[in-house]
Amino acid sequence: MSTLEAGASTLDARGHANRRVPAAAVRARLTPWAYQAPVLISLLVFVYGPLVFTAVLSLLDWDLVSPDKTFVGVDNYRRLVEEPEFPHALARTGLYVLALLPFATIVPMALAIMLWKRPGRASDNYRSLLFLPVVLAPVATALSWRFVLNPLGGVLNQVFGAVGLPEQDWLGDPDTALWAISLITSSRFVALNILLYGAALAALDRRAFDAARIDGATEWEITRHLVVPQLAGTTVLLSFLCVVFAGQWTFTNIAVLTQGGPDASTDNVYYRLYTYAFTFFDAGTGAAAAVLIVLILTALFGLSTLLRRRRVVG
Amino acid sequence: MFAAAACGSSDGDDGSGTEVAATTGGIAPLDSATKVTIKFLSYNYGTPGLGGTGTQALIDAFEKAHPNITVEPQGVATKDVLTRLRTDTAAGSPPDVAQVGWSKMAEAVQALPIVPVQEIPPAAEWDEHVAGISKSILSAVSVDGQVKAMPYTMSIPVLYYNADLFRAAGLDPAKPPATLEEVKAAGLAIKGTGSEGVYYGVVDSAKSDFLTQSVVNGNGGSLVDANGEVTLDKPAAVGALAGIQDLVKSGAMPAVNTETALAAFTSGKLGMLVTSTAVLASAMKAADGKFELGTASFPTFGSKPARPTYSGAGLAVLAKDDAHKRAAWEFIKFVTSDAGFEIITSKIGYLPLRESVATKLADSAIVKLLAPSLEQLDTVAPYTAFRGEKANQAVVALQDEAVEPIVLRGADPGPTLTSVAEKIRKLSA
Repeated sequence: MSTLEAGASTLDARGHANRRVPAAAVRARLTPWAYQAPVLISLLVFVYGPLVFTAVLSLLDWDLVSPDKTFVGVDNYRRLVEEPEFPHALARTGLYVLALLPFATIVPMALAIMLWKRPGRASDNYRSLLFLPVVLAPVATALSWRFVLNPLGGVLNQVFGAVGLPEQDWLGDPDTALWAISLITSSRFVALNILLYGAALAALDRRAFDAARIDGATEWEITRHLVVPQLAGTTVLLSFLCVVFAGQWTFTNIAVLTQGGPDASTDNVYYRLYTYAFTFFDAGTGAAAAVLIVLILTALFGLSTLLRRRRVVG
Repeated sequence: MFAAAACGSSDGDDGSGTEVAATTGGIAPLDSATKVTIKFLSYNYGTPGLGGTGTQALIDAFEKAHPNITVEPQGVATKDVLTRLRTDTAAGSPPDVAQVGWSKMAEAVQALPIVPVQEIPPAAEWDEHVAGISKSILSAVSVDGQVKAMPYTMSIPVLYYNADLFRAAGLDPAKPPATLEEVKAAGLAIKGTGSEGVYYGVVDSAKSDFLTQSVVNGNGGSLVDANGEVTLDKPAAVGALAGIQDLVKSGAMPAVNTETALAAFTSGKLGMLVTSTAVLASAMKAADGKFELGTASFPTFGSKPARPTYSGAGLAVLAKDDAHKRAAWEFIKFVTSDAGFEIITSKIGYLPLRESVATKLADSAIVKLLAPSLEQLDTVAPYTAFRGEKANQAVVALQDEAVEPIVLRGADPGPTLTSVAEKIRKLSA
């Protein structure tokens, strides 16, 4: 008699009641998966599936239309690294992150603390006004900025001229274009992050601050030594989100206002990816750029996680 | 009068006007009971200017004449036409008819499943329809004698000027500048009064190089030669862009992009604007009651003849089945008929491609302002496209990496054009 047959006969010998237990166990194991299935299937279809497809596409030479797709191995990656455009765009993306980091952390934190210290209807209305840039259509906002920054008679230059300052072609000068795009984009970071800092502040226990006041601490000392340190976790999170979203949120303004110019001074990795895929119809190189962006962001996320763990252990 | 040269982008035509071969067969007209909806992708549709209202007027007139065919218009930015067509084709839902700019047509014909427009109607019907259109214009997008896309909108660069600013600067509006040197002098005179002088619209966010070609041609140069070899780094081309750069360096021309300059001109702050006749109707509307608008021929380089090339678009058919192909043809036939060109010329300002329409509208204000362009049609040079499937990428490289830095930011024309020419040669290989 084989082991298998022995097992089967043992099972038979246990009878009907014993066979119900595994069925219930199976059901118990499957139930959580059934609840998670919609999310898991969505992730597979809309996130991980396209990610795998993009990775495969990055190894091909394809123009988006032709039925012919040629396998080229890592040639697309080699092109990205060897030609100056992508590294340049990567460096510019870093500059966008640096330019936007204060608007993702310091500015919204300061505004959120001010609003938190003065609760009431006026504060609520002001918070709603500050949130407005998030709900406005990005393209419409960018077009409005085109009128404001028009070098020949735009609103900003008129103001500059009125106070005797030199007029500028803010979006047409390679020295100022990236900073102009960053400033235009900053309002979205400020608006959204005020809300997130507000949520973090709402969770703080005000009694500790009242106690500090009784002990003679000034408002500035309370803010600096008690409030800000307790917002450190939120600040780290928002800094990382700034790294992730700086390139993406500047994309619309770049596409509408400068198309990566002048002299590629406002280019970033997302606009470069778009250019490869949808201006030059080089789907393989565009996909390779997308894969590299994912790898870079994953590496940054891994590094920040590692640093946080070391700090906790330390 | 109508001697617009052939494009030569696809067939190397020399502009002499190839004979268009007739095809037989074709698709029979639709039964009036057959209801068809066609998608029309247009970069004029939906724009806030007169291009938008003119296109809507064309659609309305067509639907009135063909109640069984509904046109579903789709707007798209000029520079994004190819992107949209490629992605829609990849998704399996291309538009039935698309307005494709000349600078992008060569690549579109090579890369997209375009149905040759001449194949759609029976030969007799085709011949009857194109009888009033110059053969050389028809050949603009022909391959091996077969018309791939229908010439639809055509314009050439013209010098617009603000007569009031001329008078304020002590210039005679009746004698507009005819050469680059005269343009510079007039521009500096206007600049001296506190307004901006002149703007050559070579830096265009639509990434079209038609005005770059016109300027280079005018100095006896070219972007590509008859064999398709890149020649944009030759002395004549370098000298042409150096001439425009000199306007900026002298202060006669502001270092801004075309959109900014156009806004300045229509608001009366810029004395002269060299750009396409396509903005004529919008310029007329803007000038109405504000300043006196004048037009003059495209300026020359000294005694060299002006050789402007044309901009504009053809209509390409991407319909999949016979009913939609035929409906697309009916639409194309209407908009390129006398009635269609009357709307196109009077409401938008593109050149009438039928002499009968030019004659009929001769006394209208818009055709009077188009007169310098119509007189210059005999000197029009063919629009030339870079070779290969990356022609559009080559145009983007030319405009972004050579024209813009040279003209607006003082880059050295020689080395800049040499570097970009090398890049384009690699793309064209």
